Amino acid sequence: MIPFIILAVIAIAGALGVILGRQPVHSALALVGNILALAVLYLLLSAEFLAVAQVIVYAGAIMVLFLFVVTLLTAGKEEGEPPEELGGQRWWAGIFAVGVGVVLAILAVTHPGSAVNTGIPSNFGTIDGLGHLLWGSDFLYLMAVAIMLLTAAVGVLVLNRPMKKSRVSRPGREEA
Amino acid sequence: MIPINWVVGLAAIIFAIGAIGVMARRNPLIMFMSAEMMWNSAALAFIAFARQWHSMSGQVMAFLIVGTAAAEVGIGLAIIVTVYHRRHRLDIDEISGMKG
Repeated sequence: MIPFIILAVIAIAGALGVILGRQPVHSALALVGNILALAVLYLLLSAEFLAVAQVIVYAGAIMVLFLFVVTLLTAGKEEGEPPEELGGQRWWAGIFAVGVGVVLAILAVTHPGSAVNTGIPSNFGTIDGLGHLLWGSDFLYLMAVAIMLLTAAVGVLVLNRPMKKSRVSRPGREEA
Repeated sequence: MIPINWVVGLAAIIFAIGAIGVMARRNPLIMFMSAEMMWNSAALAFIAFARQWHSMSGQVMAFLIVGTAAAEVGIGLAIIVTVYHRRHRLDIDEISGMKG
């Protein structure tokens, strides 16, 4: 229980750091803390391969990509949060989200549900067990994700192709 | 042995915090990180249920979530960078001009 509480505190602190950070860099670093805490939690839940994948893919690849974009777009700038244009939207968002979170958390904690009490299988959580499922009964999902990743890569290329002359014009909101 | 239901509760709390970030912040980068956090909390719930039922299907789902999140980050950051190059402001309302 004690390790779980420590990890939960780190994860929640990281999550709050993400949404309260003034600069996107601070948010990105808080998100790294959140992700690493969750990775250790995966280890405690005997999902070894996913813990490693979480560190490599999230903390490694995705966050580095985020930090690249953050430094590309916000280097040396101190921009405050723009004023909100919808009346009271932030308050309503906070109230509803906190309500949903509290209700879900209370339901989860008070309804433990039934559990399997036999010993866990020997390949539970290893890349062996995961691979047997991914290349066996769940092969369709793996192919779907593969096609989606390929589509995303092509989409990024299409989005970043060099603009034509006529489309490059002065920056500004008036531009139609 | 960690109590599984507390882990699911933690996932719910992180999900709610991420939802606040998506709805209340205006910086597209921070909104995007909050959305990543919501993906992550869903993966945490899947892994907790997988541990509870001793079934690897939940872990397969979490693995697919990681793959989906990678695709989403690639395309989302490309959109943010493209919009920033045209508008030079980091404000989510700039993307409202992408209608049609």
